[in-house]
Amino acid sequence: MGIVLLFLIPVVVFSIVSVVLVGVLGAALPALAAYPDFTWVMDPWFQALIKMTLLILVVVMPLASILTWMERKQSAKMQDRGGPNRAAILGARAWGIPHFIADAVKMIMKEDFIPAKANKILFSLAPVMAIVPVFVTFAIVPFGGDVCTHQLTQVVANPALCTDKVTLQVARLDVGLLFYFAIASLAVYGTTLAGWASYNKWSLLGGLRASSQMMSYEVTMGLAILGAFLVYGTLEPHAIVLAQGPLPWHWGIVYQPLGAILFFTAAIAETKRTPFDTPEGESEVVGYFVEYSGMRFGMFFLAEFIEVVFLSAIMATVFFGGYEFPFLFPDGFHLLGHSLPLPHVAVLLIQTAGWGLKVIFFCWFQLLIRWTLPRIRPDQLMDLGWKKLLPVSLANVVVTAVVVLALMAR
Amino acid sequence: MAETPNPAPAQSTVTLKIDGQSVTVPKGTNVLEAARSLGVSISFFCYHPGLSSPAVCRQCLVEVKGQPKPVPSCYTPCADNMDVLTQSEKALTVRQQMLEFTLVNHPVDCPICDKAGECTLQKLYVEWDSAHARMDYEKVHKPKKVDLGPTIVLDAERCILCTRCIRVCDEVAHDHQLEMSYRGDRETISVAPGKQLDNPYSLNTVDVCPVGALTAKDFRFQMRAWELMTTSSVCAGCATGCNDEIHHARGEIYRLVPRENQDVNKFWMCDDGRMTYHEIRQNRVAGARVQGETVPLDKALSFAADRIVALRGSSGSSGLLGVVANAQATNEDNYLLLKVASALGVDRVYLAGRPARPDCADDILRHADMNPNTAGARAIAQALMPGKAKGVPQLAADLEGGALKALWILGDHVDLDEEAQAALARLEVCIYQTPHQNFLSDKVNVLLPAAAWAEVDGTFTNAKGLVQRIRRAVEPPGEARPHRELIQLLGRKLGIALDYPNVRMLFKEMKQAVPEFAAAEYGRELPVVQLRFAGSRG
Amino acid sequence: METTFRKRTSKATVKVVPRPETLNKELMLGGIIQGLAVTMRHFFQNVAREKPEVTINYPEERLKYPLRNRGLHRLMHREDDSVRCVACMCCPTACPAHCITIVAEETGNGNEKRPAIFEIDELRCIVCGLCVEACPCDAIRMDTGEHMHVVDRRDDAILGKVDLMKRGISSTAVQGGEPNWQERVKTVPDPRFR
Ligand code: SF4
Ligand code: SF4
Ligand code: SF4
Ligand code: SF4
Ligand code: FES
Repeated sequence: MGIVLLFLIPVVVFSIVSVVLVGVLGAALPALAAYPDFTWVMDPWFQALIKMTLLILVVVMPLASILTWMERKQSAKMQDRGGPNRAAILGARAWGIPHFIADAVKMIMKEDFIPAKANKILFSLAPVMAIVPVFVTFAIVPFGGDVCTHQLTQVVANPALCTDKVTLQVARLDVGLLFYFAIASLAVYGTTLAGWASYNKWSLLGGLRASSQMMSYEVTMGLAILGAFLVYGTLEPHAIVLAQGPLPWHWGIVYQPLGAILFFTAAIAETKRTPFDTPEGESEVVGYFVEYSGMRFGMFFLAEFIEVVFLSAIMATVFFGGYEFPFLFPDGFHLLGHSLPLPHVAVLLIQTAGWGLKVIFFCWFQLLIRWTLPRIRPDQLMDLGWKKLLPVSLANVVVTAVVVLALMAR
Repeated sequence: MAETPNPAPAQSTVTLKIDGQSVTVPKGTNVLEAARSLGVSISFFCYHPGLSSPAVCRQCLVEVKGQPKPVPSCYTPCADNMDVLTQSEKALTVRQQMLEFTLVNHPVDCPICDKAGECTLQKLYVEWDSAHARMDYEKVHKPKKVDLGPTIVLDAERCILCTRCIRVCDEVAHDHQLEMSYRGDRETISVAPGKQLDNPYSLNTVDVCPVGALTAKDFRFQMRAWELMTTSSVCAGCATGCNDEIHHARGEIYRLVPRENQDVNKFWMCDDGRMTYHEIRQNRVAGARVQGETVPLDKALSFAADRIVALRGSSGSSGLLGVVANAQATNEDNYLLLKVASALGVDRVYLAGRPARPDCADDILRHADMNPNTAGARAIAQALMPGKAKGVPQLAADLEGGALKALWILGDHVDLDEEAQAALARLEVCIYQTPHQNFLSDKVNVLLPAAAWAEVDGTFTNAKGLVQRIRRAVEPPGEARPHRELIQLLGRKLGIALDYPNVRMLFKEMKQAVPEFAAAEYGRELPVVQLRFAGSRG
Repeated sequence: METTFRKRTSKATVKVVPRPETLNKELMLGGIIQGLAVTMRHFFQNVAREKPEVTINYPEERLKYPLRNRGLHRLMHREDDSVRCVACMCCPTACPAHCITIVAEETGNGNEKRPAIFEIDELRCIVCGLCVEACPCDAIRMDTGEHMHVVDRRDDAILGKVDLMKRGISSTAVQGGEPNWQERVKTVPDPRFR
């Protein structure tokens, strides 16, 4: 029963999510645009706004909030415990899921405390600086294929060719993943400021650790994913997804297994979660947010989980075919010579739901890692980053480049 | 030590053997004391070093070689070539049997007995016997709560008939108020019909009672003895200066008990002296007041200093300032006050204190002078300001005559009449450092909270001129501080550098300045001991 | 005279681990995968099991307490329903948490002494049971089987004499032991009959 639910619930949830996303963006808005007064709904800026809002409201925030519960429940299950199971809405305990609501209420109601000697402006700014960049980075994640708004019910062989397209991606930037690196490195300000502005030696230590760690691992992260860029010849996430296609043996994980592992490791270090949580290190420095309480702390807390979601999305996009569903081509399933033609809308729904499932799988996997591995020491952390991951990722880039060059020359 | 038989006929010491060790003691010493001097302890109930020995309890039996029967060591004078065995099989057995015999009718009320924790019987039982009672018949019952007088309750069942209490009345208070009545296992202590145990030394019976038979009404059920901490001090009730122990717990004083000092009070203390601790928590001044308003201490000091400085500016260097030393305060406090006064050029010095009560005096312990430090205050005044110190009548006269504009009084008691008090209220500035509120505290314009005698370290000089150490037992309430600290603070505000981080330094300086104190020693610091670790006091 | 320094020959020295030890250990990958496998196995097992193996969901499920469980304190009564406690202060003396406060008073009857105030701060109490051991009168017991109830204010956790006596019942224990104590103490060696 539990196992069945474990798979069933995400499938159902992400089906609904994909219906909402595709329905609003691919059907409702274009339909609205048919009225002369509402043509502006198809304007790129409005589209971007709607997509961002929908993405955040339907996918990111629910997922991040539910992760706060999932983290505790999953760790409990891994450790043979019960996990949270008390909070209830009207008596419905629902495996303790209402705990994330209880948490939110608690955080909002708690005293918002600012230490006497803290720098008030920076102290208030830090949580915002931490959470905003992680939201912004979602702009480049493609969560579904292009929607041909006029051919929703037909079988479309090549969406690239249709005229009226709505992209299921907030911003299709040529710089693509570079945008992610650029924005993500802003997040380090949040933590550093928090550590410094709190006027507390422990939080300062935590902040210093956080900044050194995030800067070190950014290098590895960039180099690790460089191999993938060489293979796909692009930085743009949607193009990367298309380059991988629906056949799993063409996915990035097959071409760049080492790159994938390196990137995943470095990216977990970027999220500052165990085993790379020395900036928080509950047992040693308690972290850059030790002086924070209430919703300000909540923002740091939430930012961490949004980063988890985002990292999952990037893993899925770059190394696991993005929204591509195995063997699902734009015109339907093709497997071992059999084929099952599907209308455009069905393909889109399956793709988006599949994307969601990939994301939640990686979230689950990150939690699994977080509750399995022990924290490493700060010096080991630096060792790992600079002396191990960096050379290996450099080697990965060089080897990939040579192979790609050889293949291109042939 | 080699045994050297003294051939001289006028022999003043005797040498005997106790448990194989030979010991030389003055002639007339009993075996029990001789054994004690060797560190051999023999149990006893009825013997008391300050009283005669009737040898009624037989708890101190020892074996003497050559004597057929065990002898009571408290009653047997040492003789040459005696061979005493205190730990022989026989001696141990008889003492154990005596203990069991004493316990036969003992009610074992320890849970409700005030003596528990300092009871000799309890201690001996635990040390010696610790066995189950073999008595399984109903015990003899006697009156449980007999009111013997205004201060004491008797539990006749607990009494082991040692007669110590009778002897205290006879030999210390010289008043035969207690007597044995009935015979055999009905025997009890009692007062004559219609009479009470009410002599002024009655509470000594409670101290000497080795069991919980006599309990002080004042202490009854207030606190368990083992919870009490002891601080050695000196009674502040009169000029005799009986040495005492302050028994306190958690910042509260529960009783005062005498401490042995053969030069002063021997083993005893008067009832009135024991009750002086009640005052310590009554009518206390806990915060400074300026003209009736409660203000922080520092404000009050500044106010006083400003006024004095202003006066000195306007009316000459002495500023018509007078200081009042007090026989209730310690030597150190008085010394410091007079030192500041002479530095300020003050030449009006008065000596105050409680009025004498000749009706309370006797030739046992109690002195007519109700102040603990009259001799000390006098000596200091004589040394620092020879011939200048006047009495309270002169103070009253000066006040009424307008010779004073400012006065600095060390509390607490200054015996002024109505008129003088009214004149006092008219002074420009009157600083009154006192632990207690009294008729003066409303008349003065600067009231400073001082610590009482049980809250300070220092010395008192008794009527015989002995400089004796008092020790701080409890914390003063609120902002109250020792007189000397207040004087230091105010002196500094007046521009006189005073720096005595502890009383010992002050004492050293005083000792040099005051010829009477040349031989005095500042007693050593004593650890505060909890009675539960001090063993039995009985 | 020639001085020779003796070389340390003891085998008990620090064990020096050569680094890198093995490639596998250095990479940590093997260990990580092993660890992940273990936690994953537990995860799926427990999800399938639904109810955790060892957790007791306290208010709904309860363990049976052993007979000597120490619960909330109570003060026992005499036959006439007055308090058995004689304010001997043995329990506050024994109490390592200093959570018992007693002020004694005279009873005016044959019992002589009783507590005027008897308070236990149950928040401070460490439930060690020493007070029960110390009591010479069978006056205080911890056999109620009750837990300390939830309080909003710390003061509410201080149980007074009335609260404590409400839980108490009459105790008929006799001081000095039960009537047939002689029979039983025969098994205890008496130091006087050496
Ligand atoms: S006199 Fe001593 S032995 Fe007797 S009841 Fe009191 S404490 Fe116990
Ligand atoms: S009352 Fe105390 S001191 Fe007096 S005879 Fe009895 S035991 Fe001795
Ligand atoms: S159980 Fe222990 S801690 Fe609690 S009141 Fe009794 S003695 Fe004190
Ligand atoms: S030990 Fe027993 S009799 Fe003594 S005070 Fe405590 S409860 Fe009362
Ligand atoms: S002490 Fe010697 S007989 Fe009592």
